Amino acid sequence: MVPKPPKGHFNVLYFASASSFTSMESESLPAPLPLRKLFETLDEKHPGIKAKILNSCLVTVNLNYVDIPEKDDDPDQVTIEEGDEVAIIPPVSSG
Amino acid sequence: MEPASGRAEQLRLQIAKAEADLRELRLQLSQVETSQEHDPRDQSSHSNVPPEIVSPWKWPLQQQEYERYARQLILPSVGLAGQMRLKSAAVLVVGAGGLGCPAAAYLAGAGVGVLGLVDGDIVEVSNLHRQIAHSHTKIGMNKVDSLAEYCIDLNPRVNCVRHVTPLTPENAAEIVSKYDVVLDCTDHPTSRYLISDACVLLQKPLVSASALRTDGQLIVLNNPPAPQGSQDGGPCYRCVFPKPPPPDGVLSCGEGGILGPVVGVMGVLQALEAIKLVAAGPPPSHEVPAPSLLLFSAVGTPTFRSMRMRGRRSDCSACGMSSSLTPDALKSGMVDYVLFCGVRSPVRVLAPDERITAAAYSNMLAENPGFAHVLLDVRDREHHAIASIPGAVNVPFSMFQRTDMGGQDGTRPDWLPESLPPDAPIYVVCRVGNDSQVAARKLKEMRTGSEHRFIGDIQGGMEAWKKEVDKSIPFI
Repeated sequence: MVPKPPKGHFNVLYFASASSFTSMESESLPAPLPLRKLFETLDEKHPGIKAKILNSCLVTVNLNYVDIPEKDDDPDQVTIEEGDEVAIIPPVSSG
Repeated sequence: MEPASGRAEQLRLQIAKAEADLRELRLQLSQVETSQEHDPRDQSSHSNVPPEIVSPWKWPLQQQEYERYARQLILPSVGLAGQMRLKSAAVLVVGAGGLGCPAAAYLAGAGVGVLGLVDGDIVEVSNLHRQIAHSHTKIGMNKVDSLAEYCIDLNPRVNCVRHVTPLTPENAAEIVSKYDVVLDCTDHPTSRYLISDACVLLQKPLVSASALRTDGQLIVLNNPPAPQGSQDGGPCYRCVFPKPPPPDGVLSCGEGGILGPVVGVMGVLQALEAIKLVAAGPPPSHEVPAPSLLLFSAVGTPTFRSMRMRGRRSDCSACGMSSSLTPDALKSGMVDYVLFCGVRSPVRVLAPDERITAAAYSNMLAENPGFAHVLLDVRDREHHAIASIPGAVNVPFSMFQRTDMGGQDGTRPDWLPESLPPDAPIYVVCRVGNDSQVAARKLKEMRTGSEHRFIGDIQGGMEAWKKEVDKSIPFI
């Protein structure tokens, strides 16, 4: 089981190539965080991950699909709150 | 020894030929039998009907079908109506590999009327740990023929239609149009977008699954299969993954590896979703469940996670309201899937004088065994552990993809021996000679050691090493 995030944090789960890139299954990051800042925050922690992995990924918050707002003034602003679980799901195409 | 091995070879050829003839005969027989069964005039002549039954058979299924499907017929989710729907359904399995083998086997077992199989590949020995319908004696055979034979052997009542070709923009619409449900069991982003587009255009529900290493994904797309532009339909592949991954980040099972049961689980789940879909009948006879993406992780906890998805994207380039996707655009090649997904161009990062052949490296060491240098093997740890060049130090390539791998400021990275003179050369080797160039370039940019230090790679990687230096080394 992924441990509960510490107080004031949320969990990020990495699947498939996101897990290979970060060499981790999950990690905790400080909350709250506006969803639109998620990719740049992760890119600071894992330099290069945005272009290589995140841009083609699907993102969920608490098992629900979310769209990453592209602009700061996008009306659809979501904030990742303390205790939330964010999943980074890259497309897997082989089989 | 010589005459004996010659005789063995002769026998092998004879067996292979006899087996191929038998296969062809079985396929022909099954086609004759299934076409008879679908023609009501021939019912009485069906050889499977026992002679003691004199009164005409008045039940909707054949007697043998009640026996064969008994265990699923008594389930509320199938029942007689569901079995009748399965019998009259045509299901297409695109890809006869790790997903397609178990998926097709369960669909054949469940008694779908027509089972279409599409694949242009042939069976290889490295397929056999997971592609369960193929076998050692079928190496070199078309995967579609091999899988069709397996399915017919399992259930001769299924009409197996063989499409011995990859699915292409030119043939996709024609093939897909003949079926009611499609299973994407392929292995590349290009085919995933192509199949999804064809299913959107032809309004077919699509059961999509994939697997790599120890992870799998499953999603039922375009369900319900509302017309293009309608927001009532389920999302398509482009709604879920609008942007393809960068081509150099796409790993095949050959490159990334795959655990047999992982892809098996995903293929079995695909068959399950397809059976549920067909047996339930078309909407509105049942409620279509909200779309969800099922993630499987063989090593994670929990093993399964279900993600709630949204409906169609209104701006989707395939199923959206202003989509320009048409059957003509698809067939004429106006939608360029290769261009959309990108191609891995050959890596030419190093100049010829920054590269050395495997043979030259080996000769150099033979002439001067104490030669001070470092050989970096940038393949994954597992590759390195299976077989490597003596003395090679393993620094996996993923380290080089990170911009914070250490040593950027000219300090000595951990893997560089302290005793190594600052001008001693560094050679980099990988599997086939692409990653090694990128890694060598990165090392040059990091400026470790003296500016006179040679940093380059072994051209062609371990593949070339096997060819030029050591034929006995396993190459994976």
